[in-house]
Amino acid sequence: MAMARLIWKEWREQRWRIGFGCVILCAFALIGLRTRAVDDQSILIGTCAIGVLLLPILAAAGLVPAERDEGTLRMLLAMPVKPWKVLAAKTLLGAALCAVPLMAAAIVSVAVARGREVSIPATLAIYGGSIATALLLFVWMLAFTARSEGEGRAAGLAVGVLVFWLMATYGLLNVVQREESRISHLPHPAPSTRAELLLAPTPFVAVFAADGIALATGMAVQLGIAAGLWFWAAHAVAAHESEGRP
Amino acid sequence: MSDTEQPAIEIRGVNKRFGRKPVLDDLTLTVRPGQTFAFLGRNGAGKTTAIRMLLGLLKPDAGSIHVLGMDPRRESLEVRRRVGYLAEDQAMFGWMRVSELISFMAPFYPTWDAGWAKQLAERFELPARTRVRHLSKGQGVRLGLLLALAHRPKLVILDDPTLGLDPIMRKEFLRDVVTYLQGENVTVFFSSHLLYEIDAVADTVAILDRGRIVRQADTDALRDHVKRIVVPAEAEAKLADLPGLLDLAQAGRQAAAVVEDVDAALPLVAGAGVPYEVVDLNLDEIFEAYVIGRRGKEDNHGHGPAHLERVA
Repeated sequence: MAMARLIWKEWREQRWRIGFGCVILCAFALIGLRTRAVDDQSILIGTCAIGVLLLPILAAAGLVPAERDEGTLRMLLAMPVKPWKVLAAKTLLGAALCAVPLMAAAIVSVAVARGREVSIPATLAIYGGSIATALLLFVWMLAFTARSEGEGRAAGLAVGVLVFWLMATYGLLNVVQREESRISHLPHPAPSTRAELLLAPTPFVAVFAADGIALATGMAVQLGIAAGLWFWAAHAVAAHESEGRP
Repeated sequence: MSDTEQPAIEIRGVNKRFGRKPVLDDLTLTVRPGQTFAFLGRNGAGKTTAIRMLLGLLKPDAGSIHVLGMDPRRESLEVRRRVGYLAEDQAMFGWMRVSELISFMAPFYPTWDAGWAKQLAERFELPARTRVRHLSKGQGVRLGLLLALAHRPKLVILDDPTLGLDPIMRKEFLRDVVTYLQGENVTVFFSSHLLYEIDAVADTVAILDRGRIVRQADTDALRDHVKRIVVPAEAEAKLADLPGLLDLAQAGRQAAAVVEDVDAALPLVAGAGVPYEVVDLNLDEIFEAYVIGRRGKEDNHGHGPAHLERVA
Protein backbone atom coordinates (compact mmCIF):
# COMPACT_ATOMS: atom_id res chain seq x y z
CA MET A 1 0.00 0.00 0.00
CA ALA A 2 2.81 2.38 0.90
CA MET A 3 4.60 1.48 -2.36
CA ALA A 4 1.36 2.10 -4.26
CA ARG A 5 1.16 5.60 -2.75
CA LEU A 6 4.77 6.31 -3.72
CA ILE A 7 4.03 5.23 -7.31
CA TRP A 8 0.86 7.34 -7.31
CA LYS A 9 2.86 10.37 -6.22
CA GLU A 10 5.49 9.82 -8.92
CA TRP A 11 2.81 9.28 -11.53
CA ARG A 12 1.14 12.57 -10.60
CA GLU A 13 4.48 14.34 -10.84
CA GLN A 14 5.67 12.72 -14.08
CA ARG A 15 2.47 12.34 -16.09
CA TRP A 16 2.89 15.75 -17.75
CA ARG A 17 6.39 14.87 -18.86
CA ILE A 18 5.16 11.53 -20.23
CA GLY A 19 2.40 13.37 -22.09
CA PHE A 20 4.90 15.92 -23.40
CA GLY A 21 7.19 13.13 -24.65
CA CYS A 22 4.28 11.37 -26.36
CA VAL A 23 3.14 14.55 -28.13
CA ILE A 24 6.64 15.44 -29.36
CA LEU A 25 7.55 11.99 -30.69
CA CYS A 26 4.13 11.15 -32.12
CA ALA A 27 3.93 14.54 -33.86
CA PHE A 28 7.40 14.08 -35.37
CA ALA A 29 6.61 10.57 -36.60
CA LEU A 30 3.14 11.52 -37.85
CA ILE A 31 4.20 14.63 -39.73
CA GLY A 32 7.33 12.99 -41.15
CA LEU A 33 5.59 9.85 -42.34
CA ARG A 34 2.57 11.70 -43.75
CA THR A 35 4.52 14.32 -45.69
CA ARG A 36 7.11 11.80 -46.94
CA ALA A 37 9.71 14.54 -47.33
CA VAL A 38 12.40 11.93 -46.69
CA ASP A 39 12.41 8.14 -46.62
CA ASP A 40 10.58 6.31 -43.84
CA GLN A 41 13.70 4.82 -42.30
CA SER A 42 15.15 8.29 -41.75
CA ILE A 43 11.93 9.41 -40.05
CA LEU A 44 11.86 6.34 -37.82
CA ILE A 45 15.49 6.72 -36.81
CA GLY A 46 15.04 10.47 -36.32
CA THR A 47 12.04 9.92 -34.06
CA CYS A 48 13.95 7.34 -32.05
CA ALA A 49 17.02 9.56 -31.82
CA ILE A 50 14.93 12.41 -30.38
CA GLY A 51 13.47 9.99 -27.84
CA VAL A 52 16.82 8.50 -26.86
CA LEU A 53 18.47 11.90 -26.56
CA LEU A 54 15.64 13.69 -24.76
CA LEU A 55 13.67 11.30 -22.57
CA PRO A 56 16.42 9.86 -20.30
CA ILE A 57 17.64 13.41 -19.51
CA LEU A 58 14.09 14.51 -18.68
CA ALA A 59 13.59 11.45 -16.49
CA ALA A 60 16.91 11.53 -14.64
CA ALA A 61 16.89 15.26 -13.89
CA GLY A 62 13.21 15.33 -12.98
CA LEU A 63 13.20 12.59 -10.37
CA VAL A 64 15.76 12.70 -7.53
CA PRO A 65 17.48 16.08 -8.15
CA ALA A 66 14.21 17.96 -8.71
CA GLU A 67 12.76 16.52 -5.52
CA ARG A 68 15.91 17.39 -3.59
CA ASP A 69 15.69 20.91 -5.02
CA GLU A 70 12.19 21.33 -3.63
CA GLY A 71 13.17 19.92 -0.23
CA THR A 72 10.53 17.19 -0.33
CA LEU A 73 13.12 14.40 -0.61
CA ARG A 74 14.01 15.11 3.02
CA MET A 75 10.39 14.67 3.97
CA LEU A 76 10.15 11.38 2.06
CA LEU A 77 13.32 10.00 3.63
CA ALA A 78 12.16 10.98 7.12
CA MET A 79 9.04 8.84 6.67
CA PRO A 80 8.99 5.18 7.73
CA VAL A 81 9.98 3.88 4.31
CA LYS A 82 13.23 2.40 3.02
CA PRO A 83 15.10 4.72 0.65
CA TRP A 84 15.36 2.02 -2.02
CA LYS A 85 11.55 1.91 -2.21
CA VAL A 86 11.48 5.65 -2.85
CA LEU A 87 14.01 5.16 -5.64
CA ALA A 88 12.17 2.11 -7.00
CA ALA A 89 8.97 4.13 -7.43
CA LYS A 90 10.95 6.88 -9.13
CA THR A 91 12.73 4.38 -11.38
CA LEU A 92 9.43 2.85 -12.44
CA LEU A 93 8.02 6.19 -13.54
CA GLY A 94 11.35 7.21 -15.08
CA ALA A 95 11.28 4.01 -17.12
CA ALA A 96 7.71 4.79 -18.14
CA LEU A 97 8.80 8.26 -19.22
CA CYS A 98 11.53 6.71 -21.40
CA ALA A 99 9.41 3.91 -22.85
CA VAL A 100 5.83 5.15 -23.21
CA PRO A 101 6.47 8.01 -25.71
CA LEU A 102 8.57 5.67 -27.88
CA MET A 103 5.83 3.02 -27.70
CA ALA A 104 3.24 5.61 -28.68
CA ALA A 105 5.45 6.74 -31.57
CA ALA A 106 5.86 3.09 -32.65
CA ILE A 107 2.08 2.68 -32.77
CA VAL A 108 1.71 5.90 -34.79
CA SER A 109 4.52 4.85 -37.15
CA VAL A 110 3.00 1.42 -37.81
CA ALA A 111 -0.48 2.91 -38.23
CA VAL A 112 0.68 5.55 -40.71
CA ALA A 113 3.41 3.77 -42.71
CA ARG A 114 1.95 0.22 -42.54
CA GLY A 115 5.31 -1.27 -43.47
CA ARG A 116 5.43 0.38 -46.91
CA GLU A 117 9.20 1.00 -46.90
CA VAL A 118 10.37 -0.50 -43.62
CA SER A 119 8.56 -3.69 -42.65
CA ILE A 120 6.45 -3.66 -39.49
CA PRO A 121 8.79 -6.10 -37.63
CA ALA A 122 11.79 -3.96 -38.62
CA THR A 123 9.96 -0.82 -37.45
CA LEU A 124 9.17 -2.44 -34.12
CA ALA A 125 12.79 -3.63 -33.84
CA ILE A 126 14.08 -0.07 -34.30
CA TYR A 127 11.72 1.20 -31.62
CA GLY A 128 12.48 -1.76 -29.34
CA GLY A 129 16.21 -1.11 -29.58
CA SER A 130 15.61 2.56 -28.90
CA ILE A 131 13.53 1.84 -25.81
CA ALA A 132 16.24 -0.48 -24.49
CA THR A 133 18.89 2.18 -25.14
CA ALA A 134 16.79 4.89 -23.50
CA LEU A 135 16.22 2.70 -20.43
CA LEU A 136 19.91 1.89 -20.09
CA LEU A 137 20.88 5.53 -20.56
CA PHE A 138 18.28 6.52 -17.96
CA VAL A 139 19.80 4.17 -15.36
CA TRP A 140 23.28 5.54 -16.08
CA MET A 141 22.01 9.09 -15.78
CA LEU A 142 20.01 8.28 -12.65
CA ALA A 143 23.13 6.93 -10.97
CA PHE A 144 25.30 9.90 -11.87
CA THR A 145 22.70 12.54 -10.97
CA ALA A 146 21.41 10.95 -7.74
CA ARG A 147 23.69 13.12 -5.58
CA SER A 148 23.36 16.35 -7.49
CA GLU A 149 21.57 19.38 -6.13
CA GLY A 150 19.19 20.99 -8.57
CA GLU A 151 17.51 19.96 -11.78
CA GLY A 152 19.69 22.15 -14.01
CA ARG A 153 22.93 20.75 -12.68
CA ALA A 154 21.54 17.23 -12.97
CA ALA A 155 20.52 17.84 -16.58
CA GLY A 156 24.09 18.98 -17.28
CA LEU A 157 25.47 15.80 -15.74
CA ALA A 158 22.99 13.71 -17.73
CA VAL A 159 24.16 15.38 -20.94
CA GLY A 160 27.71 14.52 -19.86
CA VAL A 161 26.73 10.86 -19.54
CA LEU A 162 25.10 11.04 -22.98
CA VAL A 163 28.23 12.54 -24.53
CA PHE A 164 30.32 9.81 -22.91
CA TRP A 165 28.02 7.18 -24.40
CA LEU A 166 28.17 8.72 -27.86
CA MET A 167 31.94 9.07 -27.74
CA ALA A 168 32.37 5.50 -26.51
CA THR A 169 30.01 4.18 -29.19
CA TYR A 170 31.55 6.06 -32.11
CA GLY A 171 35.04 5.44 -30.80
CA LEU A 172 34.42 1.71 -30.73
CA LEU A 173 32.80 1.85 -34.14
CA ASN A 174 35.85 3.52 -35.62
CA VAL A 175 38.13 0.89 -34.07
CA VAL A 176 36.02 -1.88 -35.55
CA GLN A 177 35.86 -0.24 -38.95
CA ARG A 178 39.65 0.14 -39.03
CA GLU A 179 40.00 -3.51 -38.06
CA GLU A 180 37.46 -4.47 -40.71
CA SER A 181 39.35 -2.71 -43.43
CA ARG A 182 42.57 -4.43 -42.34
CA ILE A 183 41.23 -7.94 -41.71
CA SER A 184 37.83 -8.47 -43.31
CA HIS A 185 36.97 -11.87 -41.87
CA LEU A 186 34.25 -10.96 -39.31
CA PRO A 187 31.41 -13.55 -39.58
CA HIS A 188 28.80 -10.75 -39.40
CA PRO A 189 29.16 -7.19 -40.57
CA ALA A 190 29.17 -4.36 -38.08
CA PRO A 191 25.94 -2.33 -37.93
CA SER A 192 25.35 -0.70 -41.24
CA THR A 193 24.90 2.85 -40.08
CA ARG A 194 26.08 4.86 -37.14
CA ALA A 195 22.48 5.77 -36.34
CA GLU A 196 21.56 2.12 -35.96
CA LEU A 197 24.53 1.64 -33.73
CA LEU A 198 23.42 4.54 -31.55
CA LEU A 199 20.05 2.87 -31.15
CA ALA A 200 21.44 -0.58 -30.42
CA PRO A 201 20.60 -1.76 -26.91
CA THR A 202 24.22 -2.56 -26.10
CA PRO A 203 26.21 0.26 -27.60
CA PHE A 204 29.47 -0.61 -25.90
CA VAL A 205 29.53 -4.17 -27.05
CA ALA A 206 27.33 -4.26 -30.16
CA VAL A 207 30.31 -3.39 -32.32
CA PHE A 208 32.04 -6.54 -31.17
CA ALA A 209 28.91 -8.69 -31.45
CA ALA A 210 30.05 -11.06 -34.12
CA ASP A 211 27.37 -13.62 -33.28
CA GLY A 212 24.33 -14.21 -31.10
CA ILE A 213 26.31 -15.48 -28.13
CA ALA A 214 28.54 -12.42 -28.15
CA LEU A 215 25.49 -10.15 -28.38
CA ALA A 216 23.74 -11.97 -25.51
CA THR A 217 26.89 -11.75 -23.42
CA GLY A 218 27.15 -8.07 -24.18
CA MET A 219 23.55 -7.45 -23.20
CA ALA A 220 24.03 -9.40 -19.97
CA VAL A 221 27.08 -7.26 -19.17
CA GLN A 222 25.08 -4.10 -19.86
CA LEU A 223 22.22 -5.26 -17.63
CA GLY A 224 24.71 -6.15 -14.89
CA ILE A 225 26.30 -2.71 -15.10
CA ALA A 226 22.83 -1.10 -15.03
CA ALA A 227 21.85 -3.12 -11.95
CA GLY A 228 25.07 -2.11 -10.19
CA LEU A 229 24.49 1.53 -11.09
CA TRP A 230 20.93 1.38 -9.76
CA PHE A 231 22.10 0.08 -6.37
CA TRP A 232 24.75 2.77 -6.35
CA ALA A 233 22.00 5.34 -6.97
CA ALA A 234 19.91 3.85 -4.14
CA HIS A 235 22.88 4.16 -1.82
CA ALA A 236 23.43 7.74 -2.97
CA VAL A 237 19.83 8.68 -2.23
CA ALA A 238 20.02 7.18 1.26
CA ALA A 239 23.49 8.51 2.08
CA HIS A 240 23.30 11.99 0.62
CA GLU A 241 21.00 13.31 3.32
CA SER A 242 23.32 12.11 6.05
CA GLU A 243 26.47 13.74 4.76
CA GLY A 244 27.76 17.18 5.56
CA ARG A 245 24.45 18.61 6.67
CA PRO A 246 24.84 20.21 10.09
CA MET B 1 9.98 9.09 37.33
CA SER B 2 10.42 5.68 38.85
CA ASP B 3 13.76 3.93 38.37
CA THR B 4 12.16 1.33 36.13
CA GLU B 5 10.40 3.80 33.88
CA GLN B 6 11.94 3.81 30.44
CA PRO B 7 13.08 7.25 29.23
CA ALA B 8 11.33 8.52 26.12
CA ILE B 9 14.71 9.67 24.81
CA GLU B 10 18.14 8.81 26.13
CA ILE B 11 21.30 10.17 24.53
CA ARG B 12 24.66 9.18 26.00
CA GLY B 13 28.04 10.59 24.98
CA VAL B 14 27.16 11.22 21.35
CA ASN B 15 29.77 12.73 19.06
CA LYS B 16 29.30 13.76 15.47
CA ARG B 17 31.58 15.41 12.94
CA PHE B 18 30.89 16.57 9.42
CA GLY B 19 34.31 16.25 7.84
CA ARG B 20 36.64 18.00 10.24
CA LYS B 21 33.93 20.11 11.77
CA PRO B 22 32.72 18.83 15.15
CA VAL B 23 28.97 19.30 15.42
CA LEU B 24 28.09 17.37 18.57
CA ASP B 25 30.53 16.81 21.39
CA ASP B 26 29.71 14.29 24.11
CA LEU B 27 26.00 15.08 23.95
CA THR B 28 24.12 13.56 26.86
CA LEU B 29 20.50 14.09 27.84
CA THR B 30 17.45 12.23 29.08
CA VAL B 31 13.79 12.97 28.42
CA ARG B 32 11.27 11.37 30.76
CA PRO B 33 7.86 10.19 29.51
CA GLY B 34 5.22 12.91 29.64
CA GLN B 35 7.75 15.74 29.78
CA THR B 36 7.72 18.81 27.60
CA PHE B 37 11.40 19.17 26.87
CA ALA B 38 12.82 22.29 25.27
CA PHE B 39 16.07 21.82 23.40
CA LEU B 40 17.58 25.26 23.15
CA GLY B 41 20.45 26.51 21.08
CA ARG B 42 21.47 29.16 18.63
CA ASN B 43 21.29 28.48 14.92
CA GLY B 44 24.06 26.02 14.07
CA ALA B 45 24.42 24.75 17.64
CA GLY B 46 23.66 21.18 16.55
CA LYS B 47 19.96 20.90 17.40
CA THR B 48 18.81 19.64 14.03
CA THR B 49 21.74 17.22 13.80
CA ALA B 50 20.81 15.73 17.18
CA ILE B 51 17.14 15.50 16.20
CA ARG B 52 17.95 13.80 12.90
CA MET B 53 19.96 11.24 14.86
CA LEU B 54 16.92 10.52 17.03
CA LEU B 55 15.08 9.46 13.87
CA GLY B 56 17.95 7.44 12.45
CA LEU B 57 18.48 9.91 9.62
CA LEU B 58 22.05 10.48 10.75
CA LYS B 59 24.38 8.12 12.53
CA PRO B 60 26.48 9.24 15.49
CA ASP B 61 30.25 8.75 15.30
CA ALA B 62 30.27 7.61 18.93
CA GLY B 63 27.82 7.19 21.82
CA SER B 64 24.39 5.65 22.15
CA ILE B 65 20.86 6.84 21.45
CA HIS B 66 17.59 5.26 22.54
CA VAL B 67 14.16 6.49 21.51
CA LEU B 68 11.19 4.76 23.17
CA GLY B 69 13.67 2.02 24.07
CA MET B 70 14.78 1.50 20.45
CA ASP B 71 18.12 2.20 18.82
CA PRO B 72 17.39 4.45 15.83
CA ARG B 73 20.49 3.15 14.04
CA ARG B 74 19.06 -0.36 13.90
CA GLU B 75 15.31 0.28 14.06
CA SER B 76 14.95 3.59 12.28
CA LEU B 77 11.73 2.66 10.48
CA GLU B 78 10.05 1.49 13.70
CA VAL B 79 11.17 4.65 15.49
CA ARG B 80 9.70 6.78 12.70
CA ARG B 81 6.46 4.79 12.79
CA ARG B 82 6.06 5.48 16.50
CA VAL B 83 7.34 9.04 16.75
CA GLY B 84 5.64 12.17 15.45
CA TYR B 85 8.19 14.36 13.70
CA LEU B 86 7.91 17.85 12.33
CA ALA B 87 11.09 18.97 10.58
CA GLU B 88 12.47 22.46 10.65
CA ASP B 89 10.94 24.48 7.83
CA GLN B 90 9.43 21.32 6.36
CA ALA B 91 8.85 21.34 2.61
CA MET B 92 5.74 19.47 1.52
CA PHE B 93 4.40 18.48 -1.88
CA GLY B 94 2.96 21.79 -3.06
CA TRP B 95 0.91 20.31 -5.87
CA MET B 96 -1.07 18.02 -3.55
CA ARG B 97 -4.31 19.13 -1.97
CA VAL B 98 -4.40 19.00 1.82
CA SER B 99 -6.67 15.95 1.73
CA GLU B 100 -4.39 14.24 -0.82
CA LEU B 101 -1.32 14.77 1.34
CA ILE B 102 -3.11 13.32 4.36
CA SER B 103 -4.19 10.28 2.30
CA PHE B 104 -0.67 9.94 0.92
CA MET B 105 0.88 9.78 4.37
CA ALA B 106 -1.63 7.42 5.97
CA PRO B 107 -0.41 4.03 4.61
CA PHE B 108 3.08 4.55 5.97
CA TYR B 109 1.85 4.47 9.58
CA PRO B 110 0.12 1.32 10.87
CA THR B 111 -1.50 3.29 13.71
CA TRP B 112 -2.79 6.12 11.50
CA ASP B 113 -6.18 7.28 12.76
CA ALA B 114 -8.14 8.76 9.84
CA GLY B 115 -10.92 10.03 12.12
CA TRP B 116 -8.38 11.74 14.34
CA ALA B 117 -6.68 13.28 11.28
CA LYS B 118 -10.05 14.68 10.22
CA GLN B 119 -10.66 16.13 13.67
CA LEU B 120 -7.21 17.71 13.68
CA ALA B 121 -7.82 19.20 10.23
CA GLU B 122 -10.99 20.83 11.55
CA ARG B 123 -9.33 21.93 14.75
CA PHE B 124 -6.41 23.45 12.83
CA GLU B 125 -8.84 24.98 10.31
CA LEU B 126 -7.11 23.40 7.32
CA PRO B 127 -9.02 23.62 4.01
CA ALA B 128 -9.09 20.08 2.59
CA ARG B 129 -9.38 21.10 -1.08
CA THR B 130 -6.64 23.72 -1.04
CA ARG B 131 -3.30 22.91 -2.61
CA VAL B 132 -0.45 22.80 -0.12
CA ARG B 133 1.49 25.51 -2.00
CA HIS B 134 -1.40 27.90 -1.46
CA LEU B 135 -1.44 27.51 2.33
CA SER B 136 -0.13 30.29 4.53
CA LYS B 137 3.02 29.70 6.55
CA GLY B 138 0.96 29.11 9.68
CA GLN B 139 -1.34 26.66 7.91
CA GLY B 140 1.72 24.84 6.57
CA VAL B 141 3.10 24.39 10.08
CA ARG B 142 -0.29 23.20 11.32
CA LEU B 143 -0.53 20.74 8.44
CA GLY B 144 2.95 19.43 9.27
CA LEU B 145 1.83 19.05 12.84
CA LEU B 146 -1.31 17.17 11.78
CA LEU B 147 0.86 14.75 9.82
CA ALA B 148 3.08 14.32 12.88
CA LEU B 149 0.15 13.61 15.20
CA ALA B 150 -2.37 11.64 13.16
CA HIS B 151 -0.81 8.27 14.00
CA ARG B 152 -1.23 9.07 17.71
CA PRO B 153 2.45 8.98 18.70
CA LYS B 154 3.46 8.91 22.35
CA LEU B 155 6.52 11.02 21.55
CA VAL B 156 6.49 14.08 19.34
CA ILE B 157 9.71 15.67 18.10
CA LEU B 158 9.33 19.19 16.77
CA ASP B 159 12.36 20.85 15.21
CA ASP B 160 12.00 24.59 15.66
CA PRO B 161 8.30 24.36 14.85
CA THR B 162 7.62 28.09 15.09
CA LEU B 163 10.37 29.08 12.67
CA GLY B 164 9.00 31.55 10.17
CA LEU B 165 5.77 32.22 12.04
CA ASP B 166 4.88 35.72 13.14
CA PRO B 167 4.87 36.44 16.90
CA ILE B 168 1.10 36.02 17.29
CA MET B 169 1.12 32.70 15.47
CA ARG B 170 4.06 31.51 17.55
CA LYS B 171 2.19 32.28 20.73
CA GLU B 172 -0.93 30.59 19.40
CA PHE B 173 1.04 27.54 18.40
CA LEU B 174 2.63 27.12 21.78
CA ARG B 175 -0.48 27.93 23.72
CA ASP B 176 -2.77 25.67 21.73
CA VAL B 177 -0.63 22.85 20.47
CA VAL B 178 1.90 22.24 23.18
CA THR B 179 -0.65 22.73 25.92
CA TYR B 180 -2.95 20.33 24.12
CA LEU B 181 -0.22 17.70 23.78
CA GLN B 182 0.61 18.06 27.44
CA GLY B 183 -3.04 17.39 28.18
CA GLU B 184 -2.87 14.17 26.16
CA ASN B 185 0.22 13.08 28.14
CA VAL B 186 2.33 13.03 24.99
CA THR B 187 6.06 13.51 25.49
CA VAL B 188 7.08 16.61 23.57
CA PHE B 189 10.69 17.24 22.57
CA PHE B 190 11.04 20.50 20.75
CA SER B 191 13.93 22.64 19.70
CA SER B 192 13.86 26.38 19.59
CA HIS B 193 16.11 29.38 19.43
CA LEU B 194 13.41 31.73 20.71
CA LEU B 195 13.53 31.39 24.46
CA TYR B 196 10.86 33.71 25.64
CA GLU B 197 8.33 31.51 23.86
CA ILE B 198 9.03 28.31 25.67
CA ASP B 199 9.13 29.89 29.09
CA ALA B 200 5.49 29.14 29.76
CA VAL B 201 5.29 25.60 28.39
CA ALA B 202 8.56 23.71 28.94
CA ASP B 203 9.03 21.45 31.99
CA THR B 204 12.70 20.88 31.29
CA VAL B 205 15.28 22.77 29.33
CA ALA B 206 18.58 21.70 27.84
CA ILE B 207 20.87 24.40 26.51
CA LEU B 208 23.08 23.34 23.64
CA ASP B 209 26.08 25.44 22.73
CA ARG B 210 28.52 24.44 20.01
CA GLY B 211 27.55 20.80 20.25
CA ARG B 212 27.64 20.47 24.03
CA ILE B 213 24.88 20.55 26.59
CA VAL B 214 25.90 23.37 28.89
CA ARG B 215 22.92 22.93 31.22
CA GLN B 216 19.94 20.64 31.56
CA ALA B 217 17.48 21.37 34.33
CA ASP B 218 13.82 21.68 35.18
CA THR B 219 12.61 25.10 34.13
CA ASP B 220 11.60 26.09 37.65
CA ALA B 221 14.93 24.95 39.11
CA LEU B 222 16.76 26.91 36.44
CA ARG B 223 14.84 30.05 37.30
CA ASP B 224 15.37 29.45 41.05
CA HIS B 225 19.13 29.01 40.78
CA VAL B 226 20.34 31.11 37.89
CA LYS B 227 20.16 34.75 38.96
CA ARG B 228 21.80 38.06 38.30
CA ILE B 229 23.71 39.71 41.14
CA VAL B 230 24.07 43.46 40.72
CA VAL B 231 26.74 45.44 42.61
CA PRO B 232 28.23 48.94 42.25
CA ALA B 233 30.63 49.20 39.31
CA GLU B 234 33.66 49.76 41.55
CA ALA B 235 33.04 46.33 43.18
CA GLU B 236 33.08 44.48 39.86
CA ALA B 237 36.32 42.71 40.74
CA LYS B 238 34.52 40.94 43.59
CA LEU B 239 32.27 39.25 41.05
CA ALA B 240 34.97 37.96 38.73
CA ASP B 241 35.80 34.89 40.81
CA LEU B 242 32.30 33.86 41.81
CA PRO B 243 31.62 30.12 41.48
CA GLY B 244 29.49 29.24 38.44
CA LEU B 245 29.94 32.65 36.86
CA LEU B 246 28.21 32.70 33.48
CA ASP B 247 28.27 36.30 32.47
CA LEU B 248 29.70 39.55 33.71
CA ALA B 249 28.78 42.94 32.35
CA GLN B 250 29.03 46.58 33.31
CA ALA B 251 26.23 49.03 32.78
CA GLY B 252 26.78 52.58 33.87
CA ARG B 253 27.46 52.63 37.58
CA GLN B 254 26.57 49.00 38.09
CA ALA B 255 28.20 45.67 37.41
CA ALA B 256 26.10 42.56 37.00
CA ALA B 257 27.09 38.92 37.23
CA VAL B 258 24.90 36.00 36.19
CA VAL B 259 25.68 32.91 38.27
CA GLU B 260 24.59 29.30 37.90
CA ASP B 261 23.81 28.84 41.59
CA VAL B 262 22.85 31.93 43.47
CA ASP B 263 22.86 30.04 46.81
CA ALA B 264 26.56 29.25 46.38
CA ALA B 265 27.58 32.68 45.10
CA LEU B 266 25.59 35.00 47.32
CA PRO B 267 27.42 34.29 50.61
CA LEU B 268 30.70 35.32 48.95
CA VAL B 269 29.25 38.62 47.76
CA ALA B 270 27.63 39.25 51.12
CA GLY B 271 30.85 38.28 52.92
CA ALA B 272 32.79 40.87 50.92
CA GLY B 273 30.61 43.57 52.40
CA VAL B 274 29.45 44.83 49.04
CA PRO B 275 25.89 46.13 48.64
CA TYR B 276 24.08 43.89 46.21
CA GLU B 277 20.76 43.17 44.61
CA VAL B 278 19.53 39.80 43.30
CA VAL B 279 17.47 39.92 40.09
CA ASP B 280 15.29 37.11 38.74
CA LEU B 281 15.88 36.17 35.10
CA ASN B 282 13.58 34.83 32.44
CA LEU B 283 14.66 31.90 30.26
CA ASP B 284 15.77 34.22 27.51
CA GLU B 285 18.23 35.94 29.81
CA ILE B 286 19.41 32.65 31.28
CA PHE B 287 20.04 31.27 27.80
CA GLU B 288 21.94 34.39 26.82
CA ALA B 289 24.13 34.08 29.91
CA TYR B 290 25.00 30.48 29.12
CA VAL B 291 25.62 30.93 25.44
CA ILE B 292 26.98 34.44 24.98
CA GLY B 293 28.65 34.54 28.39
CA ARG B 294 30.56 31.34 27.81
CA ARG B 295 31.56 32.34 24.33
CA GLY B 296 33.11 35.52 25.69
CA LYS B 297 35.30 33.62 28.11
CA GLU B 298 36.42 31.00 25.60
CA ASP B 299 37.10 33.50 22.86
CA ASN B 300 39.34 35.36 25.25
CA HIS B 301 41.47 32.30 25.99
CA GLY B 302 41.12 32.63 29.72
CA HIS B 303 42.18 36.26 29.95
CA GLY B 304 38.88 37.32 31.40
CA PRO B 305 35.47 37.59 29.81
CA ALA B 306 35.49 39.36 26.49
CA HIS B 307 31.99 40.54 27.17
CA LEU B 308 33.19 42.68 30.05
CA GLU B 309 33.01 45.50 27.57
CA ARG B 310 29.45 44.59 26.74
CA VAL B 311 26.94 46.98 28.14
CA ALA B 312 23.95 45.09 29.45
